[in-house]
Order: sequence, then structure tokens, then C-alpha cells
Amino acid sequence: MSLHADIDASKLPDYSYEFRSPLWWGIVGLMTVEGTVVATLIASFFYLQGNHAAWPPAGTSPPELLLPTLSTVVLLASMVPVYLTDKAFKRGDAKPLAWMPLASIALALVFLGIKAYEYASHVDFRWDTHAYGSIVWLMIGFHSAHVIAVIFKTLVIVYLARRRYFTPEKRIAVTVNGLYWYFVAAAWIPLYLTIYLGSRIWS
Amino acid sequence: MSPPQEKCLPRKSLPPGIAAAGIWLICACSSTYASQSALQPGGPLAKAIADLFWGMVAIGGIILFIVLAMLAVALLRARSKAEPKPLTFTQSRNLVFVSGVVIPALILTVFVISSAAVNREIVAPMPEHALTIQVTGHQWWWEVDYLDTEGNHVAKTANEIRIPVGKPVRIALEASDVIHSFWIPQLNGKTDMVPGKRNLTWVKADRPGSYLGQCTEFCGKQHAKMAFTVDAVPEEEFDAWLQRQAQPAREPATENESKGRQVFLRSSCAMCHAIRGTSALASVAPDLTHIGSRKTLAAGTLENMPGTLSSWILSPQSFKPGSHMPATVLAGEDLGNLVEYLLSLE
Amino acid sequence: MTDSASIQHDEETRQLERTWASPPGFFAWFTHVNQTNIGMRFIVTGFVFFILGVILALLMRLQLAVPENDFMDPETYNQVFSMHGITMMFLFAIPVMEGFAVYIIPLMLGTRDMTFPRLNAFGYYIYLIAGVMMYVALLLKIAPDAGWFSYPPLAGAGFSPGLGLDFYTTVITFMEISALVAAIEIIATIFKCKVPGMSLNRMPIFVWAMLVMSFMIVFALPPLVIASLMLALDRMAGMHFFTAASGDPILWQHLFWFFGHPEVYIIFIPALGMVSSIIITFTQRPIFGYIPIVLSIVAIGFIGFGLWVHHMFTAGLPQLGSNFFTASSAMIAIPSGVQIFCWIATLWGSKPKLATPLLHVLGFFLIFIIGGLSGVMVASVPFDMQAHDTYFVVAHFHYVLIGGAVFPLLGGLYYWYPKFTGRMMSERLGKIAFWVTFAGFNLTFFPMHKLGLDGMPRRVYTYLDGLGWNEANFFISISSTVLALGFLLTLVNALASLKRGKVAGDNPWNADTLEWATSSPPPSYNFRHIRTVDSRYPLWSGTGGLEQNPVVTGIRSDRREILLTSILESHPEARQPLPGPSPWPFWLAVATALTFAGLMVHMAIPLLGFLLCFIAITGWIWPKQLGAAK
Repeated sequence: MSLHADIDASKLPDYSYEFRSPLWWGIVGLMTVEGTVVATLIASFFYLQGNHAAWPPAGTSPPELLLPTLSTVVLLASMVPVYLTDKAFKRGDAKPLAWMPLASIALALVFLGIKAYEYASHVDFRWDTHAYGSIVWLMIGFHSAHVIAVIFKTLVIVYLARRRYFTPEKRIAVTVNGLYWYFVAAAWIPLYLTIYLGSRIWS
Repeated sequence: MSPPQEKCLPRKSLPPGIAAAGIWLICACSSTYASQSALQPGGPLAKAIADLFWGMVAIGGIILFIVLAMLAVALLRARSKAEPKPLTFTQSRNLVFVSGVVIPALILTVFVISSAAVNREIVAPMPEHALTIQVTGHQWWWEVDYLDTEGNHVAKTANEIRIPVGKPVRIALEASDVIHSFWIPQLNGKTDMVPGKRNLTWVKADRPGSYLGQCTEFCGKQHAKMAFTVDAVPEEEFDAWLQRQAQPAREPATENESKGRQVFLRSSCAMCHAIRGTSALASVAPDLTHIGSRKTLAAGTLENMPGTLSSWILSPQSFKPGSHMPATVLAGEDLGNLVEYLLSLE
Repeated sequence: MTDSASIQHDEETRQLERTWASPPGFFAWFTHVNQTNIGMRFIVTGFVFFILGVILALLMRLQLAVPENDFMDPETYNQVFSMHGITMMFLFAIPVMEGFAVYIIPLMLGTRDMTFPRLNAFGYYIYLIAGVMMYVALLLKIAPDAGWFSYPPLAGAGFSPGLGLDFYTTVITFMEISALVAAIEIIATIFKCKVPGMSLNRMPIFVWAMLVMSFMIVFALPPLVIASLMLALDRMAGMHFFTAASGDPILWQHLFWFFGHPEVYIIFIPALGMVSSIIITFTQRPIFGYIPIVLSIVAIGFIGFGLWVHHMFTAGLPQLGSNFFTASSAMIAIPSGVQIFCWIATLWGSKPKLATPLLHVLGFFLIFIIGGLSGVMVASVPFDMQAHDTYFVVAHFHYVLIGGAVFPLLGGLYYWYPKFTGRMMSERLGKIAFWVTFAGFNLTFFPMHKLGLDGMPRRVYTYLDGLGWNEANFFISISSTVLALGFLLTLVNALASLKRGKVAGDNPWNADTLEWATSSPPPSYNFRHIRTVDSRYPLWSGTGGLEQNPVVTGIRSDRREILLTSILESHPEARQPLPGPSPWPFWLAVATALTFAGLMVHMAIPLLGFLLCFIAITGWIWPKQLGAAK
């Protein structure tokens, strides 16, 4: 016999939001891991810089600023529709979920397009030219792969939303996708500062 | 299983103390003479490190003994018939705080300071005009260049370093391919040779003699057979030796020797090796200008004698599999002349 | 009365059994997700790799028994020693510790499964595929041959053109995903799935240790993943991260040891948790200094990241920095010392039962203290310049890793075996095995200290006669067979006890933590009743133990569901439905392996793999209701 009252869990919800949800912790864990990767890449960039008299090495021109800055603004802007969708869904309005993330995806595609154009025709070094080329291409490649991944993931969310899968109880799935979108966009900022400004400031 | 059998099992199994003592004994017995031992220092740096080591062993031994004794007491008290008396909270707290924090912190402070003090000796700046020897690591041999005070090249040899006894000698370390590590245990700790970088270390031998060294950074197939020797000799002897090393190779004195030189120059030998004073100037493999004066072949792998030298030329792969030296096919007479010529190059 | 004894085979129990059952059959095996299944797979696979690693070590000792031995050619020896290190560090130590965490933690927390069961399964298949690939390479004699550390430029394309290093770079890169997902999963489970009443300050020390281990994995492994990816790109795409021409070989050493040193603590900290569990149980009293011990573990976790440079003292780095790393390396002795004295204070005046698990812990004390002392020695820059890359260091880290981790792990095996299998391992054979292992270990590794100081470098496939190393090497080779015999006896004990061991019952050791409150082995749903706890030692508290405590009712049994509680105080917050068996984790693991290993063959395969990964992830997360609605 129990001396204390038992706990009846059936009255508890079978869903949870934000940091109450394991999934939220899962995505935070994933972001921490990837954040560590970004930090490692940046540390490697400056470590390699220390080995060179000039950075970018002689024969390679310093990066232009206009296109990258423009693309950064575009990527940061892509967070806005995600934020508005989240906010609406929090209020219980699931309608924007069916179309608003598409705006984000479009902006992310513009970002990728600018990047592709920039690295196809606007830089005068390859990944195998020198250490600078290697680390810059790796940073760009790593980040672009994440942008592509989060686009795919968001497409699935939009598809499911159009099938009316998302009831308010399933909001956490939308939350973590949004979080990951913020992460991918925000992780670009230190990479941008490193690649485009870091080499200017210290060299 | 019958009960008596169970009783036969020794209740007290072998105590760890006996096992440990046994190990110490075995170690002590096996300490025969080792000419590559860091604990038989031949110079001030290795001596300082060895002293530091013995100090750490003494203190570490005392710590080990005390902790194990406490553990033993804790366990033995449990075996006594009397109801065991646990420590009070305060006693436990004091035990943990004093022996787990205060005492280790004190000991470690002493440790860090003495370690840094020894380190200062090792990295102390060298006298301005010290002799500089540049050693370059190759897979799997050592290129040795003697430089004068201006950094000009004086003489080149391989796998055997000669230094004046009692003088500090600066050693500049480079690598041509992968990372190697330069270590003469009796004179100083090791320093890595990193391609694209130049590391410095220094040695000083207190007494004349031969000190063994070996590569200590894994560098591929023949990492195991990449040894060298350091011979400390009186200064006058060293100066004379260096002068001889700076000379080009002596001319052949006999007909066999001059035939040997021709064999050398027209066979594949000359594609990798240099003999200064001849047309062979390649620098991929050890410089052979004074090969006859060396004691070993192939970075300490073989003793330098006519028999071993000819076997080595014919089939290096059977002594040092993976070595970059290919087998050379030579007729018996050619081989004999070649060996005779090479060994005449003193 | 214990929980399992009170199970009435009522309708709800049958329903729980149906809900949580893993489907039978060979193909269904690949769909299992229950944490006990996956945890056991990690443990068994880990020990299989341990046996393989021991065999490789014996081969090395056979080669080194006499000078200029030609039992192995240098190429084979280099593959064998590299694979020994890779096996023990990557394929044995981390996975087996994670296996114990995955199996035991949900039981200790009193929950029915972990938060992401499918992720668990995914991690396991990644690990299995990676391990199998490495050993296939070894059998084909194309295994990596530049050591587990694979320093460039030796490991670069110029000096190691073969496939061996390609296996290393690509497999290491994706293998670490396994450890990372397990770590995230362990953290989320510990945060969210503690039974009501198990606030953070009542959590078993074992759980704390696994939590710290998981956080260390999260921060230590990404640099390795990215470094091995960089090395792969250097080799395959002609990039310049670690080349001497434009990159920097020392950068690899920094990245590798920024992972590699915490790695030691990732292996060692779980072992500390096991030691605490065993000491509590076999002294039958609460541990002295719960809070200092927890803080020490956390401190080790932090300091562990601040001393990687002590692996690079001979690389020619600036000297001032080196002395800093001497101090930080020495500092780790303090939290280790605090724990040792807390354990001694707990043992003092108790009547400890000298059963096999505790015997292993006592063996741990001696070996680990010696390893710790020699660790402080090599933290000294000048002494390290002598000891570095010699057999002294080989002796040191085997004292730390075997003494510090494998002995507690074997103790843990004897301790939890009854929970895993429902049967006891033989105490008699266990004690013999312990003494043989203990003697064999010291006889093998202690003389190596001397050998190293006598100048014998590591990683040499042979040595010349006349250097004074012959006797010690011969002696060590003989002793290593004694050590292997000790491990073999434990293996025999574990296998034989599966059928012939004494039936254990729920709580054979009268232990204090929740995993002993359910049947042995636990049912697929872990606990029939979820009972709240009110102390650190729930099975010992009060007069009636756990039976007195309130039950959590209302968790559904017609679908997989667990209770979520708050992080600090463990208040019930919500119920969480869990996914059931699924083949997608397996397919995602295959696609991931293809993405990375495909790099070895052609650059197009990774692109295909990326697409397959996306398909597998979509299949994985695709909601069931939607499929049904169609």
C-alpha cells in the first residue's frame, strides 16, 4: 500500500513544447555539435593564417565584399518568414505554415545562387590552390550543404502542413525546424565575418 | 562440487603488494647496461631530467604507499571481529579535504615549479658562437650538415654525428618528407623534425664516448631502423675530423679502387648518392664522400664492413624492407671493386 | 517484495508486453529500437572488438618477443598496431561505455525507454558498419598503417598512397556520428526522463558520470570529425590543410589532440561512475561526499579540454605555453584525488563484501594511482621530452586506460551481468580471473616503464640486438599471454554463466538504484509500475523501500509512451509517445556510410548518398497517421 497519493499521468498532455520537449533538447544538441564544427573551422582558418606572410596568400586577391554582404542580408532575411510562421502557429494559426516557409526557401535559394555564382566566376582560387583556398571552400561547402539540408527538411514540413498534419499538439516539430533554420542562418554570420572580414583585418 | 574443495581455495588471494614487489624485482634484475638509456645521462640536460625523474619517483612512491596503506587499513579494519566504526562526517570531510585537495595542491605546486626550472635550463639561450649542426630527417636516415658561425655549409655526412666534448652544440632540426623526432636519450630529450619548420635543440656531452640516438616519431615502414650515433671527442680531434670531412673524397689509390669508382658512377648509385670530388652530386640519399670513416650502414642497421656493405648493395630490402634504396645488380668483380673503393673513402 | 514479483499477469501487463515487444525474425532484427536491445548490442559488439584488439596486441607481442624477429613484415606490423589503437579507442572503449549507458541509464532513471529510440538504433548500425569496414580492410591487408593518430604528412597522399588511410579518414568521419547521437540522446534522456522525485541532486553518480561523458563527446568529437574530413579532402581532392607546402601538419595535431585528450576522459569518467556504484553496493552504505564526487567529475570534464598540448611538447611549440599545460595537466590530479579519498572514507569502517566487482575496483585503485602518478610525470615538459613516444608512455596510458577504465568496466560487467541475463557469473571463476588479469596486467605493463627509459621508442616493428632490451621484451611478451588468459577466463565465465549461472533474482547484491527494482533481465517495458523516489538510494530508503512510494498511473500501455519530467526537480510534465520498430535507422546508416565511404571510390557517390540520406530521413520521420489516411 502506498502511503502517499499516486500520481495520475493520464491528465498530463501527451505533447510538450520548447525546452520541456526532448526533441527540443535533441535539436539543441545537434546545434551544439555543429556549432563546435563551425568553431573548429574558424580556429583552423586563423591558425593557417598564422603560417602565411600574406592572407590570402600572394597571388590571390582579397575577397570582394558586395556580393557576399548582399547574400548575407538575403539569408538573414529568410529567418523572418520562419519567425512569423512560428509566431502564428503559436497563436494557433496553422495557415501560414502551408505557404510562408516557401518564402524562406526562396530566399535561401537566392543565397545559394549568389554563392554559386560568386565561387564559380568571382574568385581566383580553387580548393587545391593553397591552404586559404582549402579552408574557404570547406567553410562554404559545409555551410551550403546545411542550407540545402534545411531546405529539404522545410519542404517536408510544408508538404505535411498542406496535408493538414499539423495540429497544435504537433507544434514542436515546427519549432525545431525553425530553430534549425535560425541556426543555419546564424552560423553563417561568424563564417561570413571570418572569410570576408577576418582576412582583411589581420593581414 | 564438494564443500571441501571450496575450502581448499585460498581465502586470501595473492595480495597486490607481493605482485608489485615481484615486478620491481624483475625490473631491477633486467637493468643490464643499456647504451640508449635516459637514466644514464652523459650530459647536463639529460642529468637534470634524470634527477627530476628520480625526485618524482621518490615522491610518487611515497604517495602510492600512503594511499594504499590507507586503503589496506580501511579494508583490514573491516575484517576484525568488532563492529566497524565508520568515520564521522567531520573526519571524512577532513580526510578528503586535506589528503585530496591540500596536500596534492602543495605537491603539485612544487612539481610545476621544479619542472619549469628544469625546462628553463633546456630552453636557455645558446652561446652566440656555438657550433651548429643541421640535421634533416629523411625516410629513413639522417642528413647531417656542419655549419660555421655565419651559417655557411662546412661539411656533410649522414647518420653519424661527431661533437666536441664539453662544448654546447646547437642542433637545428628539419625534415624533408614526414615528421621525425631527434632523440639522444643520454644527452637530451627529443625534439620533432617537422617538414616546413626548423626546430632547435642543443646537447653537451660531459665525457667522451659514443651515444646512441633513434627516431621517435612514427615515420613509416622503417621507423624502427632509423638510428644514429653521436660521438663526443676531444676538441682538437673534432677539429681535425671536421677538416677531413670538409675535404672532397680522396682519389682512388689502387686500380681496383678506381674501377670501383667507375662502377659507382655508371651504375644507379650515382642517381641518388653524392661523392664530393666526383661527378656524383645527387642528394636524395646519404652523402658517401667519407663513407669509409663511418661505423654503420643504413642508419645504424648494419655494421660497416666489406661483407655487410656488399650484401646491403645487392639486397637492401632484405635488411630494411621498404627502404627507398633499390637492389643493385652487379657482377662479383664490380661489386668487390665498388666496396673496396667506398671503404677507402675515409 | 519487489516490483516484478508483484506483477499480476493482468490485461495491462499483457498489453505492455504487446506494445513494447520487438518483432521476431532475422529481418525484423534490423528494426528493433528498444533501449535494452540496442544497449546490449553496443556492449556485445564492443567486447567483440575488444577481443579482436587483444588478439592484435598479442600478435604485436609475438613480433617483439625477440630482436629482429621476422614473424611480421613492417607493413603488416604497422597495420596491426594502427588497428589495435583504432579498435581499442574507437570501436571498443567509447561504444562499450555508451552501451552501458544506453542499457542502464533508463533503468536507473525509472523510465521505459530513451527519448529517441530510433536514433539509438541508427547509432548502433553506423558503429557496426564502420567496425566491419575497418576489419574487412585489415583482412584484405589494406588497413590504415599510420597509427590511430595518423599524423600528416605521413598520412597524406604523398607518403601513404594506398587505400588504408582512405579507410581511416572516411570511416572515422562518419563513425563518430554514432557516438555523437548517442551522447545527445543520453543528455536528453537524463534531462527529461527521470522518474518523479529524482531531482538532479538525487541522481545516481553513475548517471552523473554518463551525463558528463556525453557533454564531453558533444564538444570533443566534432573537431575530430572535421579534422578527419580535412585529411580525407587533402588526400582525395588535393587540398592543403595539413600539407607542408601551404597547410600545416601541426594543425592536425592540435585538432586531433583537442579530441584525443578529452577522449581519455570520455572513457575514464563512465568508469568512475561504475566505481561509485560498486562501492555503494558492496559497502552497503551511502557514499561519502556525493557532492564533491559529482563536482570532481564535472571538473575533470572541464579540465580535460585544457591539456591537449601535453601530447605535443616535443613538436617545438613556444615554451611559455608548454608550462601552462604542465600545470593544467597536473591539476587533474586534484579532482581524481578527491574521489579516491571519498571512496576510501566510504570504505573506512564499513564491512565491504569482497565480491568480484569490488575486487576489480580495488585493482583499479592500485593500477590507476600508478597510472595517475606517471601521468603527472609526463605532464612535466622536460621529462616528457625523454618519455614521449617511448614505451614509458605506452606503460603510462595502459595503466590509465586498462586500470582506470577496463578494470571498472569488468567490475561493472560482473556487477550488472545478473541484470542483463538473469543469472550470476561464477564468483569463484571470477576471482581467479581477476587475479590472473591483475597479475598479468602488471607483469606486462610495469616493465614497459623501464623499457621506455632505456630508450625503446614506440611503434617500432622490431629492434636491434645489443641495446639491452631483449630480456624485458621477452618477459613482457610472456606476461601478455597471462593477461590475455585473464580476459579469456572472464569471457568463459560470461558465456558459461548464460546457461549455468545461479538464477539471480531482481536484486542479488541488495543494491540501491532503480535498475534493481525490476526483474532480471528487465521486461521490454522496463517497469510494470513507475514508482516515484524520495532519496538518492531509493531501494534502501524508509522501511519498506520502493514499495512504499506512490505509483505513477495513467501512462498508456496501448502505445509506447514515457513520462517526461522537469530537469531539476523532476516534476511530471507530460507524456511522450515513442516510435516503435522501424527499418529506417538501418537504411539511414547504410546511406550515411555510403556517403562518406563513397569518397574513396568516386566523388559522385557522396552526392548520391546525400540524396539517399534525405530519403531515409523522410521515411524515418514520415508520420504514420498520414500513411493510414491515404
